[in-house]
Amino acid sequence: MFLINELIALLASNLILMQALGTSTLFIAAGSRRNLIGTAAVITVFTTVGSAAAYAVNHLTGQKYSDFTLFFYTLAVGILYVLLLTAMYFISRNAFDKFKKYIHVSAFNCAVMGTLFTIISDDLLAEESFSLTDYLSRGFEAGIGFVIAALILTAAYGRLNSSKVPSSFRGFPAMLIYLGIISMAVYSLK
Amino acid sequence: MNKPQNTLTSGLLSDNTVLSACMVISPVIMCGDTLQNALALVYAFSSITFISVLVSSFVPKRLPYTVKIIIYALISSLVYIPVRLAAQEFYPSSIERIGIYYPLLAVNSLIVYQTELKFFRMKKGRMIGSLVFHILGFDTVMLITGLVREILAYGTINGQMVDMDTLMSGLAQPFGGFIFLGILCGIYRKIRSAAMKSKNESRGEANVSD
Amino acid sequence: MLKKIKSERMVWMDVMLTLLVLELMSYFYYGVRALWIGGICIAVSLAAEFITLRMRSRRFTADDLSCTSDALIIALMMPAAIDIKIPAIACVFAVVAAKNVFGGRKNMIFSPAAAAYLLILTSWENDLLSYPAVYDKLGIFEQADELSSSASFIFNTTGSMDSTDYEILLGSFAGPMGTGSILLLIIIAVILILRRNISAGAFIGTISGTAFMAYICPIVDNAADSVKYVLSTNMILFAAIYIISDRRIAPAKNYYAFFYGLFIALFSYVVMLTTGKENVIVIASVLFTPLSLAFKNLEKKIASEKENEILESEYSDSPEENETTSSEDSEEGAESNE
Repeated sequence: MFLINELIALLASNLILMQALGTSTLFIAAGSRRNLIGTAAVITVFTTVGSAAAYAVNHLTGQKYSDFTLFFYTLAVGILYVLLLTAMYFISRNAFDKFKKYIHVSAFNCAVMGTLFTIISDDLLAEESFSLTDYLSRGFEAGIGFVIAALILTAAYGRLNSSKVPSSFRGFPAMLIYLGIISMAVYSLK
Repeated sequence: MNKPQNTLTSGLLSDNTVLSACMVISPVIMCGDTLQNALALVYAFSSITFISVLVSSFVPKRLPYTVKIIIYALISSLVYIPVRLAAQEFYPSSIERIGIYYPLLAVNSLIVYQTELKFFRMKKGRMIGSLVFHILGFDTVMLITGLVREILAYGTINGQMVDMDTLMSGLAQPFGGFIFLGILCGIYRKIRSAAMKSKNESRGEANVSD
Repeated sequence: MLKKIKSERMVWMDVMLTLLVLELMSYFYYGVRALWIGGICIAVSLAAEFITLRMRSRRFTADDLSCTSDALIIALMMPAAIDIKIPAIACVFAVVAAKNVFGGRKNMIFSPAAAAYLLILTSWENDLLSYPAVYDKLGIFEQADELSSSASFIFNTTGSMDSTDYEILLGSFAGPMGTGSILLLIIIAVILILRRNISAGAFIGTISGTAFMAYICPIVDNAADSVKYVLSTNMILFAAIYIISDRRIAPAKNYYAFFYGLFIALFSYVVMLTTGKENVIVIASVLFTPLSLAFKNLEKKIASEKENEILESEYSDSPEENETTSSEDSEEGAESNE
């Protein structure tokens, strides 16, 4: 029962199904198992570590510089982007060659930046301000949400791109409608 | 299917930013439920994208790809600050409703990724023209989406009541945005392929008559 | 191929007959309005199917009449007092967005009726979940005097059920028009399973999963009563027959279909228990569509692997013979290509 409730909570706060963040990246990721694993892993890293960076930015700058929030977040994600590429390069050239395209696609993705802004807006609304652990767990949850949405799309990917689908709806439009109907079911649970 | 020709106006019609290239779709889905929201987003997207891409075009091309991408994102996040301050004057209620999607416009893929792939490979004059049409492509879709969803979901046009008997409130929700955009995209593709077909046919006939 | 076409039509005819019986029952409870809603749903679905097929440059064939069974399923899930425009819009949505956009009956992803129900639930929740009293016979353009919550909602939220066993068996309690006649639905389930018109695995999975959950986490004090009431409310039986066990949607193999039905049952029961929402099973059936598709992909993969193994073993048994056959095949292929 606990697992099902957790699943519902994950679906209800899903960044793609309920917030449409990173949808176009999802369409690319769901195309193959390799792309799915690569993109989902990198996005989860970015949302998790990025949320820690957002926590640091919020506590260092405070409300005084709220107009610059986007600039600071962009800077933080930019630094993370370079660090991740550098770390990957020194750890394994092979992994670097395999993963760099996913890092490029994920860095300034709506899913990552949107997650950071969602966490900060939730933090502002909450009675008690969030701790670093809250930021990290929410960032990680957002990454898992991306994985769930990607799995949902992967299951239907072949059918949505099949020759049986009318050519004008094949691919991207059919995927949008498919996600829309799934999103409608999630919305009905609220 | 025939590939659309890459002309100056392609960003508006044959290679529309939202419907064809599948870019910047989250604000359309999430916030394109009223004309007022659509106008606020159109203003922000157009000004941020135009100024950011124009300024970014002066970034040295020899820099590494990653560094250039970060610089583009930083430029647009700086451009975002005055745009938001001005928007708070013109669209105060919309800004609140749009919420997190407003800053996300500044890191849209047209600025961050398409600059390198498309715009900076063109000459300055052509780049500006193409950029304007790409922006107009987004604006058109955003306005159509905002207008239709507002009529069907709330029974209003720009906040003014219209005579609608049955309202479909779900269309204002995210899932309504997904489904509406999917259908709009399918219709767009159908029209585009029909237009290309008739163009090819008339070209063929002209060749025969020659 | 001919056999497949025949069986597809036979399935539709059998399902349609059972739906017409339920429609008749709803006429008995709610009067001519029940027939009016059913008729409008069928007419709108047929028109939408015809127009979308014409737009796809396809001919309307007898097989495309399957949209009428989806239309009747939608009609039977409605309250008798609903504004007729709402089920009509839902039917258009079912045919266009939930079916033909994905390629129509040859590439079904969602149950069109379930998707249409969700559309109504999310846009017109009050209209959908307010019901007239049973035997409140309504004329075509007549409004119901009084609307109330369904027996399912009262049972979910308070744990009490006012109807007697006899009334439950006949479906004489407030709720959707045609989903409450339990006795009739049991007979229909048996007939459709025996005639292989619905997936037995999915049906058994759904019913056993719901019964199991109702027994171990009962809503009322008595576990047996809990099982009885849970199975007869919330459109469980109706959805198990017409939505979850729909052969176009459920996995082909009963083994996988059983788990598909079981997961839907477990999920919907937990949601029902924790939130008190009614008819969650329909929501769950749409939400678990990716699971069904994943099972179908798995079935396809296993089948193709088996086929490859057979081909390989045949090839290793008689390599010379196969070589000649394959060369003949390739020659034939080349000829046909020419």
